[in-house]
Amino acid sequence: MKAIVSEDITVEGHHKVRDFVRCLGASCSHALVLSLRRRRTILAAGVALTPALIPVLMAFWSSGPFAQNGFRVFVILMEMVYLRAMAPLMALFFACMLIGEEVESQTIHYVLTRPVPRLAWVSGKFLGYLVAGTLVLLPSAALTFAGCLALGSFPVSWASIILWLHYSGVLVMALLGYGAFCMFLGAVVRKPVVIGIVVFFGWQRAAMLAPGVVDFLTIEKYLAALLPKLAAERRDPVISAILSTHQKREILVGAFKAGMALLIIAAALVALTALVVRVREYRTERSVKG
Amino acid sequence: MTEAAIEVRSLSKWFGEVVAINNLDLGIGPGVTGLLGPNGAGKTTFIKVALGLYRPSRGSVRVFGEAPRGNLDLARRVAYCPESDRFYDNMTGYEFIFWMNRYAGMDAAAARKSAEDACARMHMSGRMHDLIATYSRGMRQRINLAQALSRPCDLLFLDEPLAGLDPEGREEMFALIRTLGSEGRTVVVSSHILYEIERVTNSMVLLHKGRIVATGEVRHIRDLIDGHPHAVTIECRQARTIAEHFVHDEATLGIEFLPKAVTIRTSAPNAFYKKLNGLVIDEGLDVESVRCPDDNLQAVFDYLVTK
Repeated sequence: MKAIVSEDITVEGHHKVRDFVRCLGASCSHALVLSLRRRRTILAAGVALTPALIPVLMAFWSSGPFAQNGFRVFVILMEMVYLRAMAPLMALFFACMLIGEEVESQTIHYVLTRPVPRLAWVSGKFLGYLVAGTLVLLPSAALTFAGCLALGSFPVSWASIILWLHYSGVLVMALLGYGAFCMFLGAVVRKPVVIGIVVFFGWQRAAMLAPGVVDFLTIEKYLAALLPKLAAERRDPVISAILSTHQKREILVGAFKAGMALLIIAAALVALTALVVRVREYRTERSVKG
Repeated sequence: MTEAAIEVRSLSKWFGEVVAINNLDLGIGPGVTGLLGPNGAGKTTFIKVALGLYRPSRGSVRVFGEAPRGNLDLARRVAYCPESDRFYDNMTGYEFIFWMNRYAGMDAAAARKSAEDACARMHMSGRMHDLIATYSRGMRQRINLAQALSRPCDLLFLDEPLAGLDPEGREEMFALIRTLGSEGRTVVVSSHILYEIERVTNSMVLLHKGRIVATGEVRHIRDLIDGHPHAVTIECRQARTIAEHFVHDEATLGIEFLPKAVTIRTSAPNAFYKKLNGLVIDEGLDVESVRCPDDNLQAVFDYLVTK
């Protein structure tokens, strides 16, 4: 008798896992289709492609003694433009609306009245965003790489390709961290983009410069640790001077720990989003009136 | 005695200071049950509590003996057609139903087949591959209904399902709801128009300001309704033709022309709808929608409250 009960529990467990995986797949595909069909995705792709024009323009205008070093331009573009600006912007662009738009358009009620495990739905949406964001951002990074190779002083070699792959990996990790935060914001507040801008471009900048360990409460801290060469070793001398006057004691994080931290942050935020979706009622003005 | 599909005990739901439903005690069994009440009566809130989208502020609701909130096993047995007809506008009607079927647990092949069947059932096969953004209000409502009917269920909630449907669509919907009820399912239909409820069931719950005013047979309030003018707005390019046919009727109390529409006030709604349906078929009129402003039932409730 006990064996039969145990077997039933196992079969039920298998069904739950199967349902979870099926919903995850459906949600991911649906989110990807929705993302790629939006007109604003074309706009986002256009915005994402603009940094790729910089090495091309440099190659066209610079000559002789003013010629740029391709390697240096590539590193600056990847770190200052892609990781600091493009990745957060893409996350704000795509991830804020993952749940927020479903709530605003009331389509969330169609989904939540079906046997959908909330965690599977939210995780699927997040994976869909990650694929869409990567499809938009990585081709641009690849074009930038190619443009920088053309600038010179950056030979086509395995080392260069590995450097490009390294930065691409960090870019995906940036989409992961920023995206999870944006999706969570979209599930809990009405103006997620505004709050996201303040957090990414205000709080992060301040926290990275402020004394103490508040920089651990930023995504940028962990991304910097994943870069090919630790950012702390090639800091801006002006910022270093300011930091030294404040006697900031910077605690460095290793690449492995930083990667794990980003994965844990993203997983925790996705789980929190699923919890919010499960607990919140998502009422409409019309409902409140009865 | 038939077991109730929905059991409600001392159920209240409030949003801040707004009491949406107030101390409801109710049992709904198999067959079609109409939820009748004007806007703000608590119909949609009741449905959303029964679906588990809202948690009760006080009291309890049981659907097939289980609490609905977060209950995925129960969600497999329940389908819902919301009042809102907002969708993912960059999708076609077919795609929308396909994805909803995928969320319902169907594999891709079954979801496709079921979406096609649901579109065919709602006479949307010809337009199902067009973007939803290009649909008329009636078409959107058909897709809304199709997504609810595209999977098997024991309990079906239809929140204002006839809003925006053309006369032909309304007749089809009346027949469909009656069939679903006669097959042993529990179907809950909400409306603010007695005529609509009357066409699909004889059993109804009358709600007003979150409370149950009456439960039982429709005919109990039939006489009250008939004593009040019933306004019907018909969206149609040939609005003038329609008005010409009703202007000399004794039951017609007033006619008002709107842009591409006409509102007719009548004291005999049953006869009015019968004549309108005949007119649409005989004259081949291009009617986009037939709507009833909410004041019909409100007038009766005002009467009941002041009585």
